[in-house]
Order: sequence, then C-alpha cells, then structure tokens
Amino acid sequence: MKFDIERCGYCGACISVCPTGSLELTENRIIIENKTCDDCGRCSIICPLGAFFVEVEKNLSKL
Amino acid sequence: MKYDVIVVGGRIGGSVSSLFASKNDVDVLMIEKNPEIGVPLQCAEATSELTFKTLGIQPSKRYICSKIYGVEVHSPDGTHFKMQPSGDEMGYILDRKVFDKSLAVESAKAGTDIMIWTTVKDLIIKNGKVKGVVAKHLDETMEIKADMVIAADGVGSNISRMAGINTLYGVKDVGSCVQYKMVGIDADPNYMQLYFGREVAPGGYAWIFPNEDGVTNVGIGIRDSNETAYHYLNKFISNFNGMPFEMNVGGVPLSGPVEKTYTDGLIVVGDAAGHVDPLTGGGIHLATSCAKIAGEVAAEAIKNEDTSAEFLKRYEEEWKNKIGSIIKNSLKYRKVLDKLNDKELNALARFLKGRDLDSITSTSLLGLVKESPSLVRHLKNVL
Ligand SMILES: Cc1cc2nc3c(=O)[nH]c(=O)nc-3n(C[C@H](O)[C@H](O)[C@H](O)COP(=O)(O)OP(=O)(O)OC[C@H]3O[C@@H](n4cnc5c(N)ncnc54)[C@H](O)[C@@H]3O)c2cc1C
Ligand code: SF4
Ligand code: SF4
Repeated sequence: MKFDIERCGYCGACISVCPTGSLELTENRIIIENKTCDDCGRCSIICPLGAFFVEVEKNLSKL
Repeated sequence: MKYDVIVVGGRIGGSVSSLFASKNDVDVLMIEKNPEIGVPLQCAEATSELTFKTLGIQPSKRYICSKIYGVEVHSPDGTHFKMQPSGDEMGYILDRKVFDKSLAVESAKAGTDIMIWTTVKDLIIKNGKVKGVVAKHLDETMEIKADMVIAADGVGSNISRMAGINTLYGVKDVGSCVQYKMVGIDADPNYMQLYFGREVAPGGYAWIFPNEDGVTNVGIGIRDSNETAYHYLNKFISNFNGMPFEMNVGGVPLSGPVEKTYTDGLIVVGDAAGHVDPLTGGGIHLATSCAKIAGEVAAEAIKNEDTSAEFLKRYEEEWKNKIGSIIKNSLKYRKVLDKLNDKELNALARFLKGRDLDSITSTSLLGLVKESPSLVRHLKNVL
C-alpha cells in the first residue's frame, strides 16, 4: 500500500479497519508497516481524503 | 509513579470518566497525546440537553454556538420537511474546542492529574491483567503503574487492542467523514439540515449545521464508496456560494459497540467502544453517559480493591441498561435506510412532509403502499 502523507488529515479512521495492525498514528504521522501489510485495500476505502494508493504491481503479482 | 486509575484520551470519553472517578475520591491520571485538548476538532458538534442532564450541569454560553429546535430533511429530488424531536429536549451546536477543554478543567478541579502532549505507547500487563501504561512525552519514555486503565482513545482503540479486545471494524461499519467550517451559507439558525441520496452521500448523509455569526459546519459522512468523502463534500458545496476556512476529517464507528468493553484491569469507553448512534453518527451524548458510568465503576472497583474483569463486568451491564436500546433501535433503522434507493427516499420524504410521526395511521399508510409498495416492504420491520 502506498501512502501520500501530504493528503493525510491524521484522523486515525484507517487504523480502525486494518486487519493486520500495520497502521500507527504517532506524533501526528501515519506509519505503515509494509512487512505486515497485505495490500487488502481496506484503509483506502475508509480514508476520507484518499491518502492510500494500492500498489498495482504488487497486487497483480498476488493473483 | 503510581495511580489508582489511568485514563487514556482527553476528550469527552476521557474527561467525563476521569471527572466521575476523581469525584469519588480516587487518584486519577488522564493522558492526552495532543498538546491541546479538543484540538483538532473531529465533530459537527451537535448534541442535546440530555448530555447536560447526564453531566448534572447547566450548558454554558462559552461553548453554545446555537440552539436547535429540530432537523430539516432533504431527499434526493429536493423534497424537504422539518422534524422536531418527540421529547421537549433542546438541541445545541457546541464549540467543542471550548466544551472539551471545560470538561478537562472540571476534571482537573475534581483532582485529576493531566498529562498533555504525551502518548500512551503500550500497556503494562502482568499475569494477564492490565497494571499501567508506558507513555512517551518528547524524548522521555515512562512506566506509570495503575490498578486499572480506562481506554478512551477513540475509534479503532489501539489501547483496547493491546489488552486483547477486538476493535477491528468492517469497511461498511465505519463512516468516512470530512467537514468544512464555512462562511456565506444562508442557513436557518435553529435547524440542522440533512441531505440524503446516493449521489449526495452514499451510505450516509451530508449536513449543514448553523454555528454562530454566519458560520456553518458543512460536512459529509459516507460508507463503502469508490470515491472519497472529500470528493463528495466538494461536489456538495459546489451547490452553495460559501467559503471554507477550516477542514476536519474523521471516522465514526456505526455498527454498535465492540464485542466486550471490559477485561482484567481495563474498561473501554466512547468511540473506542463504539458508543455511537449508528443512525446519526452522534457520539457526544452516548460517550458522556457511558463515561460517567465508567468513572463511577472504576472508583467502586478501587474502593473494593478489585479491578478484575469479574468486577468490571458491571460497567458493561450498566451502560447496556442505560443506552443499549438506543443503539439497537438506531441500528435497526439504519439497516432499513441502507436498503432504500433514491426513488424510495423521495416517496418517504413526500409521505413524511407535513405529518408528525405520531399522526401516522394505517389509512395514511395505505396511500404509501399504493405509491411505493417496495418502500412499505422495507419499512415493515420498523413500523
Ligand atoms: C466528522 C465527524 C462529525 C461528528 N459529528 C458529531 C455530532 O455532530 N454530534 C455527535 O454527538 N457526535 C459527532 N461525531 C462523533 C463524536 O465526535 C465522537 O463520538 C466523540 O468525539 C467521541 O469522543 P471520545 O472521547 O470517545 O473519542 P475522541 O473524540 O476520538 O477522543 C479520543 C482522544 O484520545 C486521544 N488519544 C488517542 N490515542 C491516544 C494515546 N495512545 N495516548 C494518548 N491519547 C490518545 C486522542 O488524541 C483524542 O483526543 C462526529 C464525528 C466525526 C468524525
Ligand atoms: S492495505 Fe490492508 S493491511 Fe495494508 S495498511 Fe491498509 S488496511 Fe492495513
Ligand atoms: S484515514 Fe486517511 S486521513 Fe485519516 S489518518 Fe488514515 S490516511 Fe490519514
């Protein structure tokens, strides 16, 4: 999952739907743990500002 | 450092629970990660007199922006009608940056210690029981022991997850919200405007709430959409000639409370516990009610020297007693509303226009059956 920090409003909504616990809001920054993130895309559905982008190549390679 | 109770989060859930724990003579520490309580704003600030009745205080002019008599509902085809609440409770639009701070001040006056600009990073857990927190302020990391912790850290509560409580939501269960404070929008100063429709706000609604001095809060909450809430809000405001000067974002849990709101040495309250009305997305009053119970039960637990899950269970029993049926009913209505398409929403708006809810009779419903049989089928369970 790619993340555009410029678009983030630091609300934490994405954390509530991340099943792998890969997101953390610290000192007003969202941090993604890419090692555990499985690119499920749930955070990108919830984010009010569209700060997440699915990494298309990574996802295709999983199919 | 050692306290009886540590409260994580310093907004409504945190300040109200710490206030009622401190009032009952226990040592309380409240920790808030932001440098200023109530900031950033993540709320459209509407509540009712019930919040103040629960708190046992008179609402103060310092944080009341406007008095609200009811809502005006707009359907997709522009049909609109006004509704007043069935009780005689006054509604209010608050200034939450001031309101939240005033609650924290009340709590401090009752004896609560407050740490601002400090983040709880971890829980201290011994033999399966929460025994305190690990908190970080700038470069300093500290262990603070306590007999119990109240998690009031908002939606998706990390703190409850650390204690083994499942706070994970489905994507359809969280409202994705964004709002502007705006000038230049002509709004009735005593009514909240709500706009429904798939094109306006899929799975939710858009709102215009009057603040003071010609300022309005214009926002939107949506669910499970390909486009962002930001996209829909900008589309919505293009219908009006207003100027935004502040923007806020947030997520609202809309599927009711998390499965369990207590464990050994910890209780969870407010948005963290899913104490939000699933129909309206309103959490101020429910968080206040549950946080009051949380503070009182925490104080009882300390006095009884028993902060086990067995003892803290009474917290869940008490809040379910108080607000469980509100959440259940709202969830039922929300599920019906989810099923309605724009045509059915328009038919419902035309039916409700000019009627008060108590005056609906079986004869008047027959007319609705003729106009939209599918709508009546959907409404069957709530009528
Ligand atoms: C856009 C929007 C509009 C809304 N409009 C309304 C409305 O009009 N009326 C209404 O009744 N409700 C509304 N709500 C819901 C309402 O805002 C919430 O229900 C209410 O604020 C819940 O309060 P809380 O104290 O439980 O949680 P929060 O307000 O989320 O507060 C949690 C606090 O915990 C702090 N925190 C989190 N993690 C940590 C940590 N690890 N360490 C220290 N501190 C931490 C946060 O900084 C925050 O201050 C709205 C919500 C949104 C998003
Ligand atoms: S893509 Fe899924 S796993 Fe990865 S951060 Fe987003 S919600 Fe979490
Ligand atoms: S939901 Fe979006 S805006 Fe909110 S914290 Fe996550 S990335 Fe940032």
